[in-house]
Amino acid sequence: MTAQAGGPVPGLPAEAHAGSRGAALGRLWPFGPAAAVLLFLFFIPLAIVFVYSFWTVQNLQLIPTWTLQNYLKFFQTDTYIRTFLKTIIMAVLVTAAGIGMAFPFAYFLARYVSTRWQRVLLLAVIIPFWSSYLVRVYAWQAILGEKGALNWLLMQVGLISEPLTIFLYNDVGVFIVLTYVYFPFAALSLYSSLEKFDFTQLTAAQDLGATPLRAMRRILLPQVRPGFITAMIFVFIPIIGEYLTPTLVGGTKGVLIGNLIVNFYRGGAFPAMAAASFIIAAFIILLLVLFRRYLQLDDVVTKL
Amino acid sequence: MVQRHSRREFLKITGVAAGGLALAACSSGTSSPAASAGASAPAGSAPAGGSINFLTWSDHFGEAALAAVKEQTGISVNVSELADNIDGFNKLSQVKGQLDLVSGDALWVPKYYDAGLVETIDINSFEVAKQLYPMAREFDFWTKPDGYLAYPWGWSPIQVVYNPKYVTGSPDSWEVMIDPKYAGKVVMENQPTDIMLFAGIATGAKDIYNMTDAELKTAQDWLRKLKPNVYKLVQQNNETVSALASEEAWLGTQNLGAPDRVKDAGGPEVVAMIPKEGTTGFIDGEMTVKEGANKALIKPYLEAAAQAEWVAQNFLDNGRPLLNEKAYKLLVDGGNQDKADRYLYNQPELALKMRLKGPAGNTDAYVSAFNEVFGG
Repeated sequence: MTAQAGGPVPGLPAEAHAGSRGAALGRLWPFGPAAAVLLFLFFIPLAIVFVYSFWTVQNLQLIPTWTLQNYLKFFQTDTYIRTFLKTIIMAVLVTAAGIGMAFPFAYFLARYVSTRWQRVLLLAVIIPFWSSYLVRVYAWQAILGEKGALNWLLMQVGLISEPLTIFLYNDVGVFIVLTYVYFPFAALSLYSSLEKFDFTQLTAAQDLGATPLRAMRRILLPQVRPGFITAMIFVFIPIIGEYLTPTLVGGTKGVLIGNLIVNFYRGGAFPAMAAASFIIAAFIILLLVLFRRYLQLDDVVTKL
Repeated sequence: MVQRHSRREFLKITGVAAGGLALAACSSGTSSPAASAGASAPAGSAPAGGSINFLTWSDHFGEAALAAVKEQTGISVNVSELADNIDGFNKLSQVKGQLDLVSGDALWVPKYYDAGLVETIDINSFEVAKQLYPMAREFDFWTKPDGYLAYPWGWSPIQVVYNPKYVTGSPDSWEVMIDPKYAGKVVMENQPTDIMLFAGIATGAKDIYNMTDAELKTAQDWLRKLKPNVYKLVQQNNETVSALASEEAWLGTQNLGAPDRVKDAGGPEVVAMIPKEGTTGFIDGEMTVKEGANKALIKPYLEAAAQAEWVAQNFLDNGRPLLNEKAYKLLVDGGNQDKADRYLYNQPELALKMRLKGPAGNTDAYVSAFNEVFGG
């Protein structure tokens, strides 16, 4: 029998148990800095936001009178519910598109490309991170605008005669840019799973009579599941709180919930802002709990 | 091959790394000996250099002026850009003494004072204040028994600007902003409270800062008509200029001087008008932060940076009337009277005829009304 870290071992004296507890605690200290970051930069701020969400504001000053009004208002206002649902739909679509594009890319890279060229192509995926997020999103304004590169190209090849306005300042623009921004996260997560996969298993499955599709579904996908879950977490969750992309390329039609939260701030409506933020945070935490059910810790550890 | 480290080695490595980080953090701190020396100097005395932290709009300073002030007084200025009044109010409420000087508009300034964030100055003790129009030293909304609330800088009404190539019929009302002919061709700054104030003016609210529920509802209905026309709510004033210059937008709201700014940006002729229903406007100034660590440097900074020469240059660069009378005279002497007069620089009394910018009584209701319309 193997003793679990930190757990008592039957038959050993109490001092030995205390000693093993001490050893276990000793092994935990490297988690200290990360735990401090989590405590001071996540749990405590979140607790403050939670408390503020039950307060009111008067003359731009927070009044600590307890009320559920900020939550009620959120759930009773069609626009807020609609915007929140739209944000979730946008996140689902971008995640699907990102993974849909990233999976063939990562599969091709892991299976058919030499290690040397894998590095080059991965570098190409990472290169956009060398410029700031803001600059990249601004660049899309120049690409998608009425006088932008995309319209120019479509006119040059004769597909359109007049510039189109459908690419920018609406949900389409937000979708395109978010897909671009989050593609590397999906690609890197999937690649890290696929590169450890033994592709001869697919050949073996086909030798035993499985169709290529069946082999992929029964052999490959279960083994790269952690990569998919990680990609979903890295793409879906940040989009729920996205503010900059809808601000710059969404116009008044591509507003997401993050924009409304900033408007609350700009109007000094801090408790309403806190309530909306906490609703988003609670939704994300709920999602993470759900994801956790499908993501075994062993999966992550073996993929590292 | 995997390289293994003992716990002792690991401790050594992380210790060295943590020490390095701590040293780096100390060396990049904002407090310098010079700043500390300046902070302890009495107000009005010659400073021994130092730096002040200034939260302001991009048109309240010029790089050349800051460089000259640094050379002349040894004071360097760390500028943080301000989005709008509520942004400044919120930031200062949070960081307090980490800022020394903050810009604010008209009725927002007393709001800062009432919240205990800023303190008064003795405006008449400033030598450079003698260059101001006399009225700028006597705004009643900035006068408190213990002094004056801000060092006056500039003013402007918010105008409607349109491109006559596309917007026809010489509009003179806010109604042009909701004309369905201009769907997707309007640009405005993303300032929910200010846009609600415009809606209040357009719909005839009695007191735009304290609209009743019925007036808010009427203003919100006006916003619903406005929304299809607004293709983008921008973050900064200069984005409106770019949108008008590229003809992406045909209509927008801007301070005085927009036609020149649009032209300077390579854009077409645009026309600015004050709607017949009225508009809001600002008189802005620089406020001394009550808990500012370097507030002793503010007076020598303003004595140098608010000199007529720099103010005149600022007018030429940014084009809206300023409150330094001597600078107007320099502009006239320099052959810029036409531009200065077109921008009403010589008529500061008009500043008091505007509905001055200020905080709404119930900002929560205003921003909710705005969000309900401009949500997704």
